[in-house]
Amino acid sequence: MRIQFPGCPEPTWLWLGLVLVLGMAGSWQPARAQAPAEACALSLSGRVADHESRADLPGATVVLLETQQATQTDNAGNFHFHLCPGLYHVRVTFVGYEPETTELRVERAVVRDFRLHPNAVMLRGANIRGERVTAPVSQPTATLSGQELQQTRGEALGEALQRIAGVTAIQTGPSIFKPMIHGLHSNRLAILNNGVRQEGQQWGQEHGPEIDPFSAARLTVVKGAASVRYGSDAIGGVVLVEPKPLRDSAGTGAELHLVGMSNNGMGAASGMLEGNLRRLPAFSWRVQGTARRAGTMRAPGYYLRNSGFSEHSFSAAAGWRTDGYGFDVFYSQFRTQLGILPAAEVGNPSDLLRAIARPRPLETGGFSYAINRAYQQVRHDLGRITGFVRTGSVGRLSATLSQQLDYRDEYDRNRPRNNNLAARNLPELSYTNRTSIAELLWEHRTWRNFTGSVGLAGTYQANRYAPGSRQFIPFYTSTIGGVFWIERWQKDKWLLEAGARLDRRDLQVRRGDRDANGAFFVDRSRFQYTTPAASLGATFDPTAHLALNLAAGLTQRAPAANERFSDGVHNAQYELGYDLVPGNGALVPETALNVGLTATWHNNPRLNGEITLYQTRIIDFIYQVPILPPVVTIRGALISRQYQQTNAMLRGVDLTGSYQLAPRWLLTAKGSVLRARDTRADEWQILMPADRAEVAVRYDVADRPGARLSQRFVQLGGSAVARQTRVPANYAARDYKNPPAGYALLGLQAGTMLHWGRLPLEVSVAGSNLLNHRYRDYLNRYRYFADEMGRNVTLRVRVPLAF
Amino acid sequence: MKNLLHTPARLLMLSMLAAAPLFSACSDNDDPTPDEDNEQITTVTYTLTPTSGGAPVVVSYRDLDGDGGTAPVIGSLNLAPNTTYTGVVTLLDETKNPATDISAEVRAEADEHLLVFEPAPANLLTVTRTDRDQNNLELGLQTRVVTTGTTTGTLKITLRHQPGAKNGTFTPGSTDVEVVFPTTVR
Repeated sequence: MRIQFPGCPEPTWLWLGLVLVLGMAGSWQPARAQAPAEACALSLSGRVADHESRADLPGATVVLLETQQATQTDNAGNFHFHLCPGLYHVRVTFVGYEPETTELRVERAVVRDFRLHPNAVMLRGANIRGERVTAPVSQPTATLSGQELQQTRGEALGEALQRIAGVTAIQTGPSIFKPMIHGLHSNRLAILNNGVRQEGQQWGQEHGPEIDPFSAARLTVVKGAASVRYGSDAIGGVVLVEPKPLRDSAGTGAELHLVGMSNNGMGAASGMLEGNLRRLPAFSWRVQGTARRAGTMRAPGYYLRNSGFSEHSFSAAAGWRTDGYGFDVFYSQFRTQLGILPAAEVGNPSDLLRAIARPRPLETGGFSYAINRAYQQVRHDLGRITGFVRTGSVGRLSATLSQQLDYRDEYDRNRPRNNNLAARNLPELSYTNRTSIAELLWEHRTWRNFTGSVGLAGTYQANRYAPGSRQFIPFYTSTIGGVFWIERWQKDKWLLEAGARLDRRDLQVRRGDRDANGAFFVDRSRFQYTTPAASLGATFDPTAHLALNLAAGLTQRAPAANERFSDGVHNAQYELGYDLVPGNGALVPETALNVGLTATWHNNPRLNGEITLYQTRIIDFIYQVPILPPVVTIRGALISRQYQQTNAMLRGVDLTGSYQLAPRWLLTAKGSVLRARDTRADEWQILMPADRAEVAVRYDVADRPGARLSQRFVQLGGSAVARQTRVPANYAARDYKNPPAGYALLGLQAGTMLHWGRLPLEVSVAGSNLLNHRYRDYLNRYRYFADEMGRNVTLRVRVPLAF
Repeated sequence: MKNLLHTPARLLMLSMLAAAPLFSACSDNDDPTPDEDNEQITTVTYTLTPTSGGAPVVVSYRDLDGDGGTAPVIGSLNLAPNTTYTGVVTLLDETKNPATDISAEVRAEADEHLLVFEPAPANLLTVTRTDRDQNNLELGLQTRVVTTGTTTGTLKITLRHQPGAKNGTFTPGSTDVEVVFPTTVR
């Protein structure tokens, strides 16, 4: 890595350490015994049982969502809390059962029993005490956890998320997946890694999120705008990458994941070690690390040269938590090196057209783990301190401070001709992005059915490129201050939520440029925007088996630096920001209005499912469009893509459903459809996901008591993606190749729990593209040059260890 | 306020608040600098000297501000019919001071480069590469150009960069220069 910020080298981390020590010293006094107010001794108790057999369920987890208090049922299935009066949400979870959440008003001692429905669909992940409600409740969300998440282990984050209906990804070969929710991506999606907004270099479509998915115990996708809580960039939705909360029971535990893939020889190993001290029950810690390495990927019939990747990441967390207050520190580092297909690394349009015309890449070769030029090398560091104080009768106050450093080096295919330069082996593009975020959140206590929170958020970001390297995105500093307020009202079967937010953004840009005579100069500019956001949501639970949700939002998003000022050649296309187009003024913020309606049938014995209908209208939608005439460069005439503004209308449906065919046979299906129009030009939008559907049949083998194998299952599935026919008119002038044909793939997987001594090993084998079908996908940037991955068999082993 | 924040928690919060500015306590007032390490080609010059003597004909493509921005200045090639010329291609990076002679780098790595000359229509003129690399494959910085009848058309000059793959044909490698000169023979 070449860059150091002037006056800002390593000491940032020293400061962080110092702050940590100060914080610890400050809090390392024995917590004064807090005399609970007499009013806060109301008893809430009950019994948890199986809905069908009425058998007691010992060990079920009961959590009060408001206070984070949690307990487990005793041998007779009983639980017990002492509470202040108020309205609470009680969530009861037990492995193998559908979780149940109920609202309870506690004004005197309350007895409430729960009967849980057995979960035949799947065994969800071990439930977590002290679980935090991070996703907004009044919006459609989808979660990957437990066995479902286990089935994605070894995949990139954006790849795993595609399991969720309505989520796709802009792909670059086998290693880079940029998530897309309802057709929106990049600057319109917020990814929260362990509570911190991921700030990398969003400007490239071939820049995947710099996150190790092994660090997550749960992946949640909020579909639709969640800008009030997460900032104005969350027009399209939010991805929450949540690790398991720190261990709160004494002892030490560990978990080991091993994954191997046949197609590209990918091997992944990830280990986690965590503990909680018996002598110091408030203190918990965890360390985690992952290594992932892959060689050349194989399309049916040939290898995709230089498609390997190598990834290393680790994280460490420590926390101190008592009933009244708590804090934790977290640090993670993610490093990856990704090979780029030679055919895709061109700077000349004739070369590009020749590469596209070939049925397979010119250079294929054999299998290798070597990563040669061209490649990307990325490193992302995240440090975070977070703390909360339960402010007695008033609520809960929490603060989060984080710092992220993102380094991105891109190496061109050829080294410079000059031997001195070549010997230095410098990246041609070398960017550093540093982001500091602070957030203060106050969640007030329940008052007349109202719960809510008020927050302040600030972001400071500086983007630089290494001296001597090529400019594509200019130097910029961006400062954002925001304030938001969300209130929720809950009574009986109704939950209503409303929120508002105001952001102020100051963007200062310093751009190097050359005049017509080639003389270098720096162009400085500064922009300030004030953008509002508002949301309204309503959830209605008429019965225990149906929930209806209506959510609406308004968001204004200020343009990002890349949309205004990108300038240069990237992948044989000349990209130009809006402000640099002669005759254009400054880009104005875009305004999104979205509405979503979701109906969920749940806990039914046979048919369960969810349907989401949504519409997003974006006024002054910022998008890239090819402009004629092409820009003439010394490498020929390049298609020029410029940022433009138009009006867009996106409408779609996501459907997920399951049907219990017979006691051990489960049929699942999902699908998504999106229609995206450019309403100003009255044509379809470019680069939108095609219609897709997936069907699977799963058979769960009955367990024999005492057998070495349990929880055995076999699942046969098929997925189909249609050809994208809804593309702009005169497509040949917009893109190099028409959207590829639709395709259907077959997959088979089987898994079991293998009891090896006292160790319960979770083992599964999954085969994808079993028929070795040749196909290309519209959203894969390699589709111009090469086919998708052929047949692949993945072996996954998960080993939980307890000491 | 006493029970609003008990002592350890208060200290924690205060220390976090105090720490906030430290997260960004460095100045970001630096300016971008020229891309000195970025090897580029701004100028292609083709100098044609009649073998029978006389003033050389010089044509050039110049894009001093690099890709985009101000459009390049592209000259036209005016040749006499039934004449033989000696051609020399010069490549420069004029964003550097002094300008870098890229053609010297190309010559030094002749076994990785190939210049391709494509007249359109094909009978516009005949270009023959007269220099060779250490593997006896043609290079093309030096050429012989022969004109016949009067015509107008274009001459496309392409520099192929073919490290480790040069075989005398156009196909391997990638394109570093592709310029088209309007050409008149009269």
